[in-house]
Amino acid sequence: MNSQRTNRAVQQVGLLFIAPAMILFVVYVLYPIGYIVLNSLYEWDGINERVFVGIQNYRHMFFEDEIFLISLRNVTYWIFLTIFPQMFLGFIFAYILNHDIGGRNIARAIIYMPAIISPVVIGIVWQRILNPFGGLLADLGYKTGLTFLAQPYISDHKMAIFAVIAVNVWQWTGWSMLLYLAGLQSINEEIFESTRIEGVGKWQEIRFIVWPMLKGTHLTLILLGVIGALQTFDLVYSLTNGGPNNASQMLSTYIFLRSFRLQGMGYGSAMSVFTLVLALVLSLFQIKVLGAKFQVAE
Amino acid sequence: MKRFVLVLLCVLVVFAPSLFAQGQKAASEPDGRTVITFRSWSPVVATTEKMIAAFEAKHPNIKIDATIFNYPEYIVDLQTRAQSNTMPDIIGLEPGAMTQQYRKYLMPVQDVVIKYWGENWKDKFHPIGLDQARLGNPKGDENFYGLPVLVQTINMWYTIPVLEEAGLEPPKTYDDLLKMRDYFKNKGIAPMMVGAIDGWLRRDIYMQIIHNIAPGSIYQAEEGKAKFTDAPFVEAMRVWKRLFDDRIIQDGALGLSAYPGSQELIEAGRAATFPMGAWWMQMAGNPNPPPLSQGLVGYAPMIFPDVSGNGQSKDLLGGIDVMLGVTKAAVGKEEAIQVFVDFIAGDAAQALINTFNDIPAIKGMAPEDKYFESDNQREVWRILSEEWMPNVKYPRQLRSPEIIQALEDALAAVASGQLTPEAAMQKVQAVWKPLS
Repeated sequence: MNSQRTNRAVQQVGLLFIAPAMILFVVYVLYPIGYIVLNSLYEWDGINERVFVGIQNYRHMFFEDEIFLISLRNVTYWIFLTIFPQMFLGFIFAYILNHDIGGRNIARAIIYMPAIISPVVIGIVWQRILNPFGGLLADLGYKTGLTFLAQPYISDHKMAIFAVIAVNVWQWTGWSMLLYLAGLQSINEEIFESTRIEGVGKWQEIRFIVWPMLKGTHLTLILLGVIGALQTFDLVYSLTNGGPNNASQMLSTYIFLRSFRLQGMGYGSAMSVFTLVLALVLSLFQIKVLGAKFQVAE
Repeated sequence: MKRFVLVLLCVLVVFAPSLFAQGQKAASEPDGRTVITFRSWSPVVATTEKMIAAFEAKHPNIKIDATIFNYPEYIVDLQTRAQSNTMPDIIGLEPGAMTQQYRKYLMPVQDVVIKYWGENWKDKFHPIGLDQARLGNPKGDENFYGLPVLVQTINMWYTIPVLEEAGLEPPKTYDDLLKMRDYFKNKGIAPMMVGAIDGWLRRDIYMQIIHNIAPGSIYQAEEGKAKFTDAPFVEAMRVWKRLFDDRIIQDGALGLSAYPGSQELIEAGRAATFPMGAWWMQMAGNPNPPPLSQGLVGYAPMIFPDVSGNGQSKDLLGGIDVMLGVTKAAVGKEEAIQVFVDFIAGDAAQALINTFNDIPAIKGMAPEDKYFESDNQREVWRILSEEWMPNVKYPRQLRSPEIIQALEDALAAVASGQLTPEAAMQKVQAVWKPLS
């Protein structure tokens, strides 16, 4: 009896300790999620009276809304075409710049620099570079005879999403490099020394020792990349505004368009709920398949 | 323990909205000044600061607490404030859908302004401004939930030295546009520079084309008295497509923003003509403007060329640039009304107009003489405010956000070759709903 009472007292004290975090979690995470789920069942402009429509928003989203499906397709492109190239390039840069070579600190800083620039600024600058009339690439092409450089990179509906993805890879490769550098520097130097003594070649060292030992970094980059793909807004908004004709629309930009510009908060909420579920499913899938050994947990 | 957690959750869910929904109380500074809050996306920060300085100099008992956002952030902020009952006293508004969305939070202002402007206050305004201020009001609702600060025409401009050097006149017909295209081919100058990433600019051009082909018909289609699939609308879409196919509009236009993308190229002298409204005058007021924009020496306005064979339109399209509304949070605050009327027609308005931001909503107001830097700037002002603004017959703005979006998407789809003009207009018609 006494033991039970003590346990309960301990539990209550524990509960008190976690209460502040719980309150913040409920107010800033659970409550908004519940509110959005509820709103997704209404037709609502975000201000005036709501009209209950049941699952109509979801039905429209999956079966009638072409732009939503384009956004979903673009998110899929984004996940595969940003995460893996960024990881690959980031790893190569990190591996090279982890060696004692001249100017490596300057090179690291230059490669990382785009990651600290506002995506809006990057969007504006890259628009100037890519514009086929008066853009940097086009003007360079006309001056040098390399006229193929003047392409409608972001004005062609077939190319636009890939152009935005390329700019995104350019921006975030430095970030991948930084994480890989941190991972490489956490590998015990003795391992490298012993491989050298054993006469292991560079390629084998990378393939059988370095790459597997950076598993936590890979997983972290994939997880952050997937979540980033679902959240991407600023770069798309400033570079193409989701166009032309919604060809580069992402889930986040389309949610903004429908919720605020078109005063469809209910429909925007339905898409937000879908995005949340998608993020959860993808994250759980990764943890299940790839394991949960994140960089931060090491 | 489960019960404790459940109770805690329930309490939070019930009371969480009220945590964030504390009404904004009339604030005052330690020095006793009444604080009036103002939020908007327009005018820009530097101009708003000049307006506030001009107002506060004459009203030492009032302090204006202003926050100017980018437009996307502003609509998010405003919606959040409306839901949490923390609306500012005065807000910037767009006519039509936006004003109607916030109508229940806005104070009708037609009676409160009489004290300042007299019974015949409506005579002070350009008629299109007042007409547009009530765009979308429910039938029978004659209230003004906001009033315009600035109005505008939408039109074309040409770059004077570019056309002079080419020995060309401003284009009046489609053939003139083609001649201009031929002349500027491979010279790095766009016959018509369009930042067509922005839907509003695509729509502005289409509105001018359809206005030339069948004046007033688009408003009929909005009301359901015509269809967007009718011949004039499809024809207007064909003309739009031809502007791209004939390379009158520059390559890659769908990937160029109006601001800062096309603006920079225009100011660099790489555009023969470009579609912008009266607000282009403000380029002269920017800090360190490029030579073409200094004193607006490089530009002159022109009417959209005749693309239908009907001749250039005599009347123009236009409307409200930005309007202001007084929210119900300011009920009983006379100071808020003072700020409101001054921003529209007082010292603050004069400070705003001195920046050439756009045309004042109040007839007869003009920048002070010392702010004109060139004869051309004076002439442009005269044309826009005295000749053209009184001739604005049709609104630039449509009522339904869904139609606006569908039209803007259709224009991009046709320009990029994804849809035929017919199919594109069918898509616009498909989202049409009877106006409430």
